[in-house]
Amino acid sequence: MYVGQPIRRREDFRFLTGRGTFVDDVQLTQPILHAAFVRSPHAHARIKAIRTDAARKMPGVHTVLTGADWLKAGYGEAEGVWPVNDRSGKPARTVNRPFICVDNMVRCVGEIVAMVVADDRHQALDACEAIEVDYEALPANVVTAKALDKGTPLVHPKFGTNEVLESYHGNPEVVEAGFKKAHHITKLEVPTNRVTASPIEPRAYMGHYDVMNDRYTVWTTAQAPHIVRQYFTKSLRIDEHKLRVIAPDVGGGFGMKLYHYPEEPLALWGAIVTEHPVKWTGTRSECLMGDTHARDHYTVGEMAFDKDGKILAMRFKTLAAFGAYESQWQASITNAYHFTMLSLAYDIPGIFTEVKGVYTNCTPVDAYRGAGRPETVYQVERLIENGAKEMGMDPFVLREKNAIRPEKIPYTTAIGITYDSGDPPELFRKMRVLAKYDALREEQKKLHAQGICMGIGICGFFDMAGAGPVKMMNDLGAKIGCYDVASVRVHPSGKVTVFAGSHSHGQAHATTWTQIAADRLGIDIEEIDLVEGDTDRVPFGIGTWGSRSLSTAGMAVVAACDRVIEKAKKLAAHMLECAPSDLVIENGQFIVKGTDKKIAFAEVTNAAYHSGDRPKGLEIGLEETAFYDPTDCTYPSAVHLCVVIVDPETGRVTLRDYFAVDDVGRVINPMVFEGQVHGGCAQGIGQALMEECAYDPSSGQYLSGTFMDYAIPHSTDIPSFGIESHTTLTPSNPLGAKGGGESGTIGAPACIANGVIDAIWHLGVRQISQPMTPKKIWHALQSAKAGR
Amino acid sequence: MANAKISLTINGRAVSAEVDTRTLLVHFIREHVKLTGTHVGCDTTQCGACTVHVNGTRIKSCTMFACQLEGAQVTTIEGLAKGKQLHPMQEAFREHHGLQCGYCTPGMVMSAIGIAERYKGKALTEDIVRHELEGNLCRCTGYHNIVRAVIAGAKAMSAG
Ligand code: FES
Ligand code: FES
Repeated sequence: MYVGQPIRRREDFRFLTGRGTFVDDVQLTQPILHAAFVRSPHAHARIKAIRTDAARKMPGVHTVLTGADWLKAGYGEAEGVWPVNDRSGKPARTVNRPFICVDNMVRCVGEIVAMVVADDRHQALDACEAIEVDYEALPANVVTAKALDKGTPLVHPKFGTNEVLESYHGNPEVVEAGFKKAHHITKLEVPTNRVTASPIEPRAYMGHYDVMNDRYTVWTTAQAPHIVRQYFTKSLRIDEHKLRVIAPDVGGGFGMKLYHYPEEPLALWGAIVTEHPVKWTGTRSECLMGDTHARDHYTVGEMAFDKDGKILAMRFKTLAAFGAYESQWQASITNAYHFTMLSLAYDIPGIFTEVKGVYTNCTPVDAYRGAGRPETVYQVERLIENGAKEMGMDPFVLREKNAIRPEKIPYTTAIGITYDSGDPPELFRKMRVLAKYDALREEQKKLHAQGICMGIGICGFFDMAGAGPVKMMNDLGAKIGCYDVASVRVHPSGKVTVFAGSHSHGQAHATTWTQIAADRLGIDIEEIDLVEGDTDRVPFGIGTWGSRSLSTAGMAVVAACDRVIEKAKKLAAHMLECAPSDLVIENGQFIVKGTDKKIAFAEVTNAAYHSGDRPKGLEIGLEETAFYDPTDCTYPSAVHLCVVIVDPETGRVTLRDYFAVDDVGRVINPMVFEGQVHGGCAQGIGQALMEECAYDPSSGQYLSGTFMDYAIPHSTDIPSFGIESHTTLTPSNPLGAKGGGESGTIGAPACIANGVIDAIWHLGVRQISQPMTPKKIWHALQSAKAGR
Repeated sequence: MANAKISLTINGRAVSAEVDTRTLLVHFIREHVKLTGTHVGCDTTQCGACTVHVNGTRIKSCTMFACQLEGAQVTTIEGLAKGKQLHPMQEAFREHHGLQCGYCTPGMVMSAIGIAERYKGKALTEDIVRHELEGNLCRCTGYHNIVRAVIAGAKAMSAG
């Protein structure tokens, strides 16, 4: 059995020796031209003139293109694959993110105004410098909490409001009743900071147009190549059969590399115009400015408890920032993943939430690892933590008291989502042991007595992973079918190529998909290879995002392998003169049960292609494709706990320990899974303590344009992790596997925030918005001191 | 723009070229010599994805101009393995799952070897490794397994 084993990764060799092929590494026989862009330095401005003449005459320049040329070419828009709905019946006020400014208005810093294509990067950049743009700067709106206030500048004046949509979810009557009979009510402002995924590989695109054959090729840093091909039918209006999209090795994506960013069609447009391959590789500043941002919810909430600490109800109001435009998957957050998971790991009778999407003059917001759920866990868990403290109860015990009992599962939340498997009390129990919780509280008492501010942060939640089934996701707003695809091609020699519609950008599919296939086919893993990331080779696919690849593409591998075996058994049975049901497959052999009669896998596969002696009606060849639509999402769950030390003199947080107990069902490769948790937690820790896409509130200027200003965690900011699993299998797929990619980013922000507040609660601090920088913590301590 | 002629050794091979004086060492390695294992992840010398060894010292190759390298000995990630035989540090990263997307990895491995050489004969602790790796960003692994890989790799190097 390969499944369940920590097999060392089969893709590592090329990465470790510098032989990976990322988009910027791709070499062609023709010379590659470089694109560079003129971008708006203003958050909001009217363009009065663009002068490109001087740039056109610069050395090496092939073309200079602007929005006027785009319109002339008759190209289209970046239509949403997950467009927003307004549940109140009003149409959502959608404005798609433009590829290049076409209406002489720029609405966020970094918006593209013109493109230069030149022989090399330096020449393209020099020519951009020579383009003159006259801007009339306008007042900007960059504060989400104030987006709907009277007098706030309008991003799209034609709507007369900055509101994109409004929606409501939950059972308001139960909530009303809960608050009426509450013993205690906790109220808090719980905003979630604007962050960005920042994979270390910048986005990059290369376009090529083969005039003679009328064929287009795009190399892209994308998580879902077939979806990219679909985008191009709308942007450059290219027919799908004419376009090959290749996503080679991708250096991290975290959801952010799912979208049809402006530079993607623009690079190909440049290639069409110049009849040369054209490449753009983002600088870090371009990426921090132009990669979709994430989170940025302004939320206020309250929670009602009975006298024993049982949660009766909670309600929230959220302003969810869209940025200046609607990005293509926005509603996967607003309409699908945010409100749905509000019940977390708890049995809460009443939940109500009102969400308003708002435009601001900022970079568009879209999904980033966790998409909506980090916000959810943060807003609920902060209320639980403060509620417990206000009521003088141990926060761990209060959570255990509210945890959904296993006998109540399948459990339908007040929002209407049904958790199909899990055992939250057991996760808490395991965490108590793993973290030595009781000893930690003792230690805390001692340290506090010595003036050392130690805090313990806790959170528990369910995640909705594995987007699919198609119908459910359609109902939640997706215009793409959320299934996935795999083909299993058995070659005559018995060697196998698996083609999958997922696309690994760090998730190790070359290892895990072949582990699954090797078990299913009963052959050695070394006899199987995986192909992903090429629309000309892989039949179709929805890509890797939302912790979905295992429960969709992985299960498509299972289904295709099963079909291959079913067919191969018919042939093997014919060759061995037995019934297919008499056969078992083991170590590369078909064996007649209970006998020593057997035949090698390779002999059967050779016959499948080359032998005329076959059962009647059995088609030649051995290759199967499965389009797998799961029966449900998967609902992994987890409990996190951290220990922090806050220095009251400086406000600095030292993260001493971080523990996670996860239930992700069947684990294919525990080493890979734990790596996912480590990485996710580190990103969540970054969000809690240091990361922020900041805008100057008066000018709207973007302040986080480099890794000096946008702080992602370094090795010294992160502790070693203590990880454990508890397994309950999901009935929604044949392996019982649930998505394991996002638990870390979902849980860590709430966990860390609770830890920091726990560390300084006794000094009078009740809430600090994220990121909890030393400066903010220091100020909170000073005002708490002054207030006492 | 001014051009300059340079001759240097990369992974034991003599290389001569005429380059724009603005060309950074990392771009020279990637675009002129076509060794694309050395990566670029930032504009401000924060990420370390571009780490190589110059005359035996680890250095971020985005901080130097190619024309400063006359006569230098440069080792990149491509210069470590002998055929299919990985360098002990590469082997340790594989064994300890010190990489996910693989983008930071060449810089991490070059940096890790630099650490191991610097601390030769001394015991590497988790604290030392975290401190020494501060200039190399990884967004995938949370550093947990990288730290383990560096300690194990350094051990293997001193044993070998
Ligand atoms: S590219 Fe050299 S440090 Fe980032
Ligand atoms: S492995 Fe992806 S950035 Fe380190």
